[in-house]
Amino acid sequence: MAWNPKKTDEPSTYRPAELSPAPRPATTTPSTAPAPTSTSAEPQRRGERATIGPSIFIKGDLTGDEDLVIEGRVEGKVDLKQNNVTIGKNGKVKADVYGRLVIVEGEVDGNVFAHEQALLRQSGAIRGNISAPRVVLEDGSRFKGSIDMEAKDSGRSNAPGTQGQAQGPAKVPEAVAVQAAG
Amino acid sequence: MSWFSFRTARREAAHPIAAPVQAGTEPEIHRSLALPTVFAALARGPRANVLDLGTAIGSNVEHLSEFGCRLSIEDLFMTRMSAADGEQLGPEFFEQLIPLPNGPQFDVVFAWDLFNYLTRKELAHLTARLRQACRPGAQVLALIWYHKSIPAQPIRFRFHGTEQLVYDRRTALERPGPRFQPAEINQLMSGFHVDRSFLLRHGIQEYLFVRE
Repeated sequence: MAWNPKKTDEPSTYRPAELSPAPRPATTTPSTAPAPTSTSAEPQRRGERATIGPSIFIKGDLTGDEDLVIEGRVEGKVDLKQNNVTIGKNGKVKADVYGRLVIVEGEVDGNVFAHEQALLRQSGAIRGNISAPRVVLEDGSRFKGSIDMEAKDSGRSNAPGTQGQAQGPAKVPEAVAVQAAG
Repeated sequence: MSWFSFRTARREAAHPIAAPVQAGTEPEIHRSLALPTVFAALARGPRANVLDLGTAIGSNVEHLSEFGCRLSIEDLFMTRMSAADGEQLGPEFFEQLIPLPNGPQFDVVFAWDLFNYLTRKELAHLTARLRQACRPGAQVLALIWYHKSIPAQPIRFRFHGTEQLVYDRRTALERPGPRFQPAEINQLMSGFHVDRSFLLRHGIQEYLFVRE
């Protein structure tokens, strides 16, 4: 059998990353962490990411256990509840999309269900409903549909409308930053 | 009378009817006297259904998320642009724009300044649909320009705290304003009564309608 240097190289380069404790706890800490951190913009938690290229057209249901970037066309259903799904700038999805973090830079005609956060980038468009604990729409993005939002903190005594002060929303750093950038 | 359309917008883009607003101007911030009432209702009531007829704006969504409401965003202006290029919109357009599978469902409607971008007939169709869409007691916030010329496209309004709105103009171009009279607006909004109406110094009359 011929010796394949590529195969022997891979374990040695990947082993340190696998032994690193960082990725695993990150997936189990949401119960203690109040919101996704800044790393949430990059779907890289497991270090595994599949890409559907721009020339690929898939009709049917997509399921799996790794993060997914869609640059092609998908019709059907994208069901990656435990993983991050990114619809890239070239991506066109006519399907309901289930993911932990769902980032839309392309077009989605369907409903988006994000376990942690749905992020609609400036270049993105969604025609459908969004269901997520946290929804961020960047300036210039296009959205038509409904957003189902749970109150962030039911124990909060002061909703914005009750304060009577001309001040910004109490907890909107990301959205405000996004607006300013737009 | 010719009203707004993409064609007229393009024509006006080539020959603006008013001096363009300087590009890069900071968005204006104006006090809204009706907004605190809307937010108070959202904070007080059970989980509300909110209809935003304007463009989706991230900071507004974030702001409304504090109330835990269900928000429907129907970009009326852009939907109109893509649906009919300058043609008169019929009632079926508004029925598709605001689907009501479960009957009246909305508690708050943000109509912003969009009434100014519809013909009187279209506005009548829209208000008829809003009558069907709103629950009794529902509030509708609308801003009516009384200037001769208004921005060529609807302004993007952002919540700035609970009492102010940021007016973000999309274009420096202007077009003739419809100059709806208060009596006309009241007639068009039959089924609603004017809860509050404020004439603001910058040329806008702010209305808060309540569904009867």
